[in-house]
Amino acid sequence: MPVASTLVEKILAPRSRGPVVPGSRYHAVEVDLVLAHDATFTLGIERIERLGLPILTPEKLLFAADHFAPPSSPERAAILGRYVTFLGERALPRDQLFRGISHQLAVEDPRVRPGRVVVGADSHTTMVGALGCFATGFGTTDILGVLATGTAFLEIPPSIELILRGVLPTGIEGKDLALAMLAALGEDGALGHALELHDHTGGSIDFDARCAITNQAVEAGATSAAFVPDAVTAGILHLRDGGAPPDLDRWAPDAGANYARSLVIDVASLPPLVARPGSPADVVPVDAVAGEPIHQAFVGSCAGGRLTELEAAASILRGRRVAPGVRLVVTPASEQVWRAASRSGALGTLSEAGALVTNPSCGACGGIDKGLLAAGELCISTSNRNGPGRMGHRDGRIMLASAATVAASALTGRVTDPRTLARSQLASWDVPR
Amino acid sequence: MTCPSPPSPSEQRLLCGRALVLGDHVNADLLHPPAFFSLDVTRLRAGFLAGLGRETDASSDGTTWIVVAGRNFGCGSSRETTVDALRRGGVVAVVAPSFGRIFRRTAAALGVPCFVSQGSLAEVLPDEELVLDAALACLVAGGGARRIALEAPDPFLEAVHAAGGLLEWLGHRRS
Ligand code: SF4
Repeated sequence: MPVASTLVEKILAPRSRGPVVPGSRYHAVEVDLVLAHDATFTLGIERIERLGLPILTPEKLLFAADHFAPPSSPERAAILGRYVTFLGERALPRDQLFRGISHQLAVEDPRVRPGRVVVGADSHTTMVGALGCFATGFGTTDILGVLATGTAFLEIPPSIELILRGVLPTGIEGKDLALAMLAALGEDGALGHALELHDHTGGSIDFDARCAITNQAVEAGATSAAFVPDAVTAGILHLRDGGAPPDLDRWAPDAGANYARSLVIDVASLPPLVARPGSPADVVPVDAVAGEPIHQAFVGSCAGGRLTELEAAASILRGRRVAPGVRLVVTPASEQVWRAASRSGALGTLSEAGALVTNPSCGACGGIDKGLLAAGELCISTSNRNGPGRMGHRDGRIMLASAATVAASALTGRVTDPRTLARSQLASWDVPR
Repeated sequence: MTCPSPPSPSEQRLLCGRALVLGDHVNADLLHPPAFFSLDVTRLRAGFLAGLGRETDASSDGTTWIVVAGRNFGCGSSRETTVDALRRGGVVAVVAPSFGRIFRRTAAALGVPCFVSQGSLAEVLPDEELVLDAALACLVAGGGARRIALEAPDPFLEAVHAAGGLLEWLGHRRS
């Protein structure tokens, strides 16, 4: 009798070449795509050159320049320069440089489809699983190993099933769901496991929201996080690639597949949530912290800088102005997002409201540039990490929240539940899905 | 058990260092804040434990450390500079009940072994001399008075450690 398989087992089993060494839990798994960017990849260049390491064929590579793009110091300019020059010397692909954050570029890339295996030199590579593939992050040296061998050495993770049900209320975003997931799992609740997300919400969780969720799965320790491919997946693939919707049924986990754990989140009753400074899993309803003065609001990063978030922020701020003295930084996740938000009018609206709109990049996330914190400052942010020192001074504080909550807070200058804004202010707060 | 200095070839599976005791969920940003990301070794080393406000622990006097930490050690960012800064700061091994996946892999790939503890680490005192016997999978504290069992490492990670790192191991495999 055939064994019932999870999504992850269906993806990895045919690609596994067996244990790396006899008796090991680590398998050599063939990869379809490797992501790398200016910051982490450059750490490996000296070793590639010194050891004469081979590099996979360009068809399997996606190189971004997103961290130091553009650079904020001479040292970072030198790191970026080393990267760009190396790629040029080796005739490695440079067409995606400066076009956005690596994970966002990956989900925009036709090579990324359900069932693929994607690895990246960055922890938030889990995000790419929003498209129903197996995607995981590595450090630079492990990525050099993948580039040299074409295989990733992976512990095949058991899966946790996360079922989302109910219908997502208007104004509740992927970030709220991601935070609900982190509250349920804690910072290590998915450690050593793959998350498989089953959307039973009648299509109310759109693709951008899915990306926000799979992005933050790594904050619960997950090796990977994948939405089981469905009609939403088919829709986004059709929009991206055209042509007939692909056959996605074959990726459905089998009935009776073996899950290590099963969790249900009812999305219908979710309020806007906030992760308090210090831990992405320290999650409370926004009401619990409402009123705290903020210094900066940030809409951006691979976790929260997509069209849905920019439009949610724009609909809150349309026709109004950010509170005096508060800086609202908006950083679209990719050139494609930037252009779509320009076409939809969201960027114009945000700019008129006083937002500081930057080029697609990591920007303030990771304390890189354009929005660092001083000691004692509070930033409310759509990004994914809020530990001390993540965005500048270690006594700067970061709250994680949805774009609507971030925009509402920018408007009032205090942490604000977007639902408490006057009804007239909410008239247009119905983001098209 | 005491640590010979330096270990003879037959004793190379003994790792010795002072205990650097850290808590649960100590993430990569705390161990080495992103602001210290650099290709410059001096700058890199300056960030050692800077997010924890414990830069003074980063003595450059050749002290070796065995980090004894809580759950989910090294979670978060994949920046390899974090592990590199620990290594250059004298950390020769890490013992914890669990590790962030990428941290553990990167540490192995750079030659810093991570051991999962089986017994409680609560009695390890800050700064005390520790001996880690990789062959017996055992951490020895209190001059031999306290022994804490460790999980036997996976044969792959063990092979990587024996080779001195992942790229060294791949080199062996190629030849
Ligand atoms: S946006 Fe932030 S979390 Fe995402 S890749 Fe860039 S630095 Fe990392």
